Amino acid sequence: MKAHKESFRFRDLLLFGAALIAALILCICVGSVDLPLGETLRVLWGAIIGKPAEDALSSSIILSSRVPRVLCVAFSGAALSVCGGTMQGLLKNPLADGTTLGVSSGASLGAALAIAFGINFASLPFAGTVVMASVFALVSLLIILGLSSRLDNSLSTNTIILIGVIFSMFASSGISVVITFSPERIQNITFWTMGSLNGASYQNAILLGSVLVICAIILRCHARELNAFAVGEENARNIGVNVKRTKLMVLITVSVLIGVCVSVGGTIGFVGLVTPHMLRMLVGPNQKRLIPACLFGGAIFLLLADLAARVIFRPQELPIGVVTSIIGAVVFVVIFCNARKGR
Amino acid sequence: MKNIKSCCILLVACLLLACFAGCGTSAQKEPDPSADGGKTEETGIHFTDMLGREIHLDAPVERLAVLTAADCEIVYALGAGELVVGRGEYCNYPAEVLEVPSVQSGYETNIEQVMALQPDVLLMSSMDQSQEQVGQIEQAGITVVLSNADTLEGVYECIEMIGILLGKEAEAKELSDGMKSDLAELAEKGFNGEKSVYFEVSPLEWGLWTAGKNTFMNEIAEILGLENCFAEVDGWGMISEEQVLLRNPDVIVSNTMYFGEGPTPTEEILGRTGWENVSAVKNEAVLNLQNDELTRPGPRLVDGAQALYDFVAAH
Amino acid sequence: MLEIRDLRVQFGKTTIVSGLNCKVEEGQWLMIVGPNGAGKTTALGAITQAFPYSGEILLEGRSIRDYKATERAKRVAVLSQNHYVSYSFTVEEVVRLGRYAHSGGLLGGRRQEDEDAVEEALAVTGLSSLRKQSVLTLSGGELQRTFLAQVLAQQPNLLLLDEPTNHLDLVYQKQVFELISDWLKKPGRAVVSVVHDLSLAKAFGSHAVLMHHGERVAWGTVDEVICPEKLDSVYDMEVSAWMRMLLSQWE
Repeated sequence: MKAHKESFRFRDLLLFGAALIAALILCICVGSVDLPLGETLRVLWGAIIGKPAEDALSSSIILSSRVPRVLCVAFSGAALSVCGGTMQGLLKNPLADGTTLGVSSGASLGAALAIAFGINFASLPFAGTVVMASVFALVSLLIILGLSSRLDNSLSTNTIILIGVIFSMFASSGISVVITFSPERIQNITFWTMGSLNGASYQNAILLGSVLVICAIILRCHARELNAFAVGEENARNIGVNVKRTKLMVLITVSVLIGVCVSVGGTIGFVGLVTPHMLRMLVGPNQKRLIPACLFGGAIFLLLADLAARVIFRPQELPIGVVTSIIGAVVFVVIFCNARKGR
Repeated sequence: MKNIKSCCILLVACLLLACFAGCGTSAQKEPDPSADGGKTEETGIHFTDMLGREIHLDAPVERLAVLTAADCEIVYALGAGELVVGRGEYCNYPAEVLEVPSVQSGYETNIEQVMALQPDVLLMSSMDQSQEQVGQIEQAGITVVLSNADTLEGVYECIEMIGILLGKEAEAKELSDGMKSDLAELAEKGFNGEKSVYFEVSPLEWGLWTAGKNTFMNEIAEILGLENCFAEVDGWGMISEEQVLLRNPDVIVSNTMYFGEGPTPTEEILGRTGWENVSAVKNEAVLNLQNDELTRPGPRLVDGAQALYDFVAAH
Repeated sequence: MLEIRDLRVQFGKTTIVSGLNCKVEEGQWLMIVGPNGAGKTTALGAITQAFPYSGEILLEGRSIRDYKATERAKRVAVLSQNHYVSYSFTVEEVVRLGRYAHSGGLLGGRRQEDEDAVEEALAVTGLSSLRKQSVLTLSGGELQRTFLAQVLAQQPNLLLLDEPTNHLDLVYQKQVFELISDWLKKPGRAVVSVVHDLSLAKAFGSHAVLMHHGERVAWGTVDEVICPEKLDSVYDMEVSAWMRMLLSQWE
């Protein structure tokens, strides 16, 4: 029995919050290096009350390496799945996502250009890649949607996915071209495109976290418009939604989010596809619930994926994108089959 | 779809690393080429290359194209640089090779570019091309000689093979003997496993990659009596930051390139948060080798080993 | 209430509507009729600003272009002919979307008048018992009624209907038309609808516009427009003979 209230209720918040905290604690306590639980908690407690830890090694492992990484992973997961969830609403298309639409590839191309040509703003270490990735994410999104609506006014699933795949390939080729023209940076770009949150810093976490908060608030404020789009763009226009402004606003917000995520962690595929889909089954398609659910659920999903990436082959790591893509590819097929059956 | 893409990227990365370093899957070693070939007693040159292919040349090599950087260095070290008419784009040592026209190599080897150089012989590593493409080049009348060095022993074999190919057996023997004795000398003075070393192939920003067993870096570390922190990793692998902190290396060797902007690779490593308690960072024992000394299966491995030895000895 | 002056719509080089003039006053039900491809649905779409047009559409004496989207939606509601839903929103959620233009406020705080409007719309369309059901599980008729409820919850003065009962069986056709007929009885309201079925148009409409190849052939009261002299040339057949033949089956 669904509650009368459409928004996230206190009970949901408690439930998702508890799950997220559990995932956070699990990911901080378990890692590539085995540390006793008591030691971990002591270090964390010490950091909270501002007392320097006795054991320098476990302190630096937990506070300098694990915690910032776990934070970045949680923020990225939340950001990517909110992007997926809102795009799926906006385009009324359950397969929409940064990866399937080619936006991530576009952002990667932007970031690769920034790396290759050393585009940097002196004071801010990451600004070059962040700005380039965001701008390219937005441009790709506009190109993809522009082309799709030219071909097919209704922005149907098949057209968008097709254009997205084509654009992805185009952007990948673009990255290859960039690599060809700057062979000395080839290593950097290649490693980077594989995606890694290894070595994420607190600065990264703060950047991601603050962008996420701002963008999530903007998107949550557009929840009713997004619901209207999820029912149908024509319907949205009929009930008085300013269609163009909403679309532009949401697309810009999503592009910025994807751009920042890509420039911090590289391309992490399919998070934006898998989690909103699972969460829609839990909380329904209403964006007022789906957006907060995506924030929590996406964070939890990526935390667990990252945990798997860190632990399975330790001391080695899998690129996190590989883990999410393996899960994502399977879920993609399931969604696609279900969507077909539904028609 | 994305999955496959990731795999492809991984593959490309491996191939690239392989080009740089000549590591990777270890191919079967053929019998020592000198055992059944290398005689110029008849009218030409006969030997078996490092993939066991029979090579027959009627006349001495006059135009040579080299795709692999390490092979190129060997050719020059043997004093046959004037024969080189074309080079792979990553062949950058010694400096005079840069005047030779370059072609794409490795994953992007372009047959037409190679043919346009009109070499008698194309020397390249076995990673560079598939069998079909090798066949195509051979059909154009170019003899393809494949090298495949992924161990020090392989480097010696490769030097010997190139020596035979170019009719410089004596110089080849001299070169490898020199390397052997230099390395033996370093091994004599070695550190007896007292110090540990961590090789960083990719900087933290892009995920940490290290060199484990079956890499030159590891082999050199063994010769110098240095303990590779990640000896159990096979080949090249992405590792967790916290593992480096745990293993607390005494020396860090990075081969990150520096492009003249931002902190240098050494400064970047020394400035990492959480690394301040790592001995190498505490003692500022971070060595940045910019010139592929330790990643190329060529004669300069000795220089790299020497540089590493000097550096460790000084810290 | 609504006045259309020299409306022209072009898609690329194809002219869909060329020079439509007509007017709807309070209490009127204007039927737009004509053969397929006459430009009926396009004319309706122009009113909701779905695509660019030239000419003037005046709502309560003011160009409809000058209205903010929400202001327009408070006055004009549209019921389209097809609905494809992808997500399992509940009936109630879809109906509540109709209150979008009324309940401003970023967080969409709950207001009693919105609740009342939703409840009334659900009750009138007989959907109260289905309110928690997913729209994906509804029959075609129930789905159409859901969107009709949304439109009613919007509390417009002017209702635009595009083939409201196109795919529906007779029970729904009767229900929907009677419902709208009742809705129109309240003062200050008007309806414009595109209808294929000329008998329906004649039975429920007060006025009609006959369109052919994007042009207005006739405009006036239903009796003036939906008559053999006007229809026969447009449809290129004897319309009344055909209608009578169909009806004679029932005698």
